[in-house]
Amino acid sequence: MTPSTPETDDALLIRIQSGDEEAFVTLYRRRQAAIFRFAQHMSGSQQVAEDVTQEVFLALLREECGFDPERGTLSGYLFGIARKLVLRHVERGRPDVALDSEFDDFSFPELAVYDDPLADLTHREGIEALRRAVRALPRRYREVVVLCDLEEVDYADAAIALSCPIGTVRSRLHRARGLLLDKLNQERNPRQAMGGLKPVRCLS
Amino acid sequence: MNCQEFWNNLPEADGMGLVEHEHVAQCPACAARLRSQVALKRGLRALAGQMSAAEAPPRVEARLRTAFRAYNGMAGVPSRRWRPVWTWAAAVAAMFAMAVLLVRERTPQAPQPVSHVVELADNGIENGFIPLPNAAQIDPSEEVNVVRVEVPRSAMIALGYDVKPEEASQSVEADVMLGTDGLARAVRFLD
Repeated sequence: MTPSTPETDDALLIRIQSGDEEAFVTLYRRRQAAIFRFAQHMSGSQQVAEDVTQEVFLALLREECGFDPERGTLSGYLFGIARKLVLRHVERGRPDVALDSEFDDFSFPELAVYDDPLADLTHREGIEALRRAVRALPRRYREVVVLCDLEEVDYADAAIALSCPIGTVRSRLHRARGLLLDKLNQERNPRQAMGGLKPVRCLS
Repeated sequence: MNCQEFWNNLPEADGMGLVEHEHVAQCPACAARLRSQVALKRGLRALAGQMSAAEAPPRVEARLRTAFRAYNGMAGVPSRRWRPVWTWAAAVAAMFAMAVLLVRERTPQAPQPVSHVVELADNGIENGFIPLPNAAQIDPSEEVNVVRVEVPRSAMIALGYDVKPEEASQSVEADVMLGTDGLARAVRFLD
């Protein structure tokens, strides 16, 4: 006896639209964790992540749910809703979220050579440093790292979620990884990093 | 292959399989940079693994089930032991379901769950809440959620309120108390 193939998201959505609660619960259980984690990475708040997850699936119930299977997968569509909701939450007043401009003036780190192999990034302190570095990325780089590197969403779905071409996903991801390495090297070699800093704002 | 050609292939190959590449063996700068990229990739995987168990708490699913029923005009399905007890109770439940359906057609917005625990009186129901006749009793220690919805004033008639005929079509806000199973237990009209 062969195991039955799991029902696709699109098939579940059709059942949901005809009022099938179990289909709704099945889809929710399949997708909620990734949406929750994405929102948590992006907002840094468990409460926001909970609210966003709830609102994402509520949006599926609304009559104006605009999912079009010809434009991409339901997963990408759900991440796209989550992204917009996180932005809305952030705009309502979360000052701890990194501003886009903080990293934008940094030199492009593509040509930098790092002697430190960052070998301990899989250990506890290394993972925490990496979490901080991801958290400090400007939003448009953070979201692509969270989607593609942490949630392993493919580029096509990420492009749908981010409302941009696949090429933009690739280039942002490339730059985001460079920024992460730059940030991690700054933490490990603060003296070396000091030389690269330049004043961006006078607070006096 | 020069450095530029080598790195142009990196995004697709994600770096892991390139450590043994001929160009890496010949170019110390690219080798160092590749080591950093590979270490970063492993670190990101470790971070993803650390977060892999994170998920929304169960109360989110309970709220969504309730919202789904509201959107589809369904009241909570009573447990089997309550089903045939009172005909009038079923009628009230049906009226409430119809009211929710009417609300859904008028205002397509989701009911906004209120994330707080209602303090229950000794009989399990807080003052102002009217137990739904077909609903299970609420244990005083049970955590309940309250969902605010908008219903036609005519729905109040079924629960014993006097409503003037000319006001029957007006809307009134109501709090619906939900048990941990997501089923409606009691209702409180705010007007």
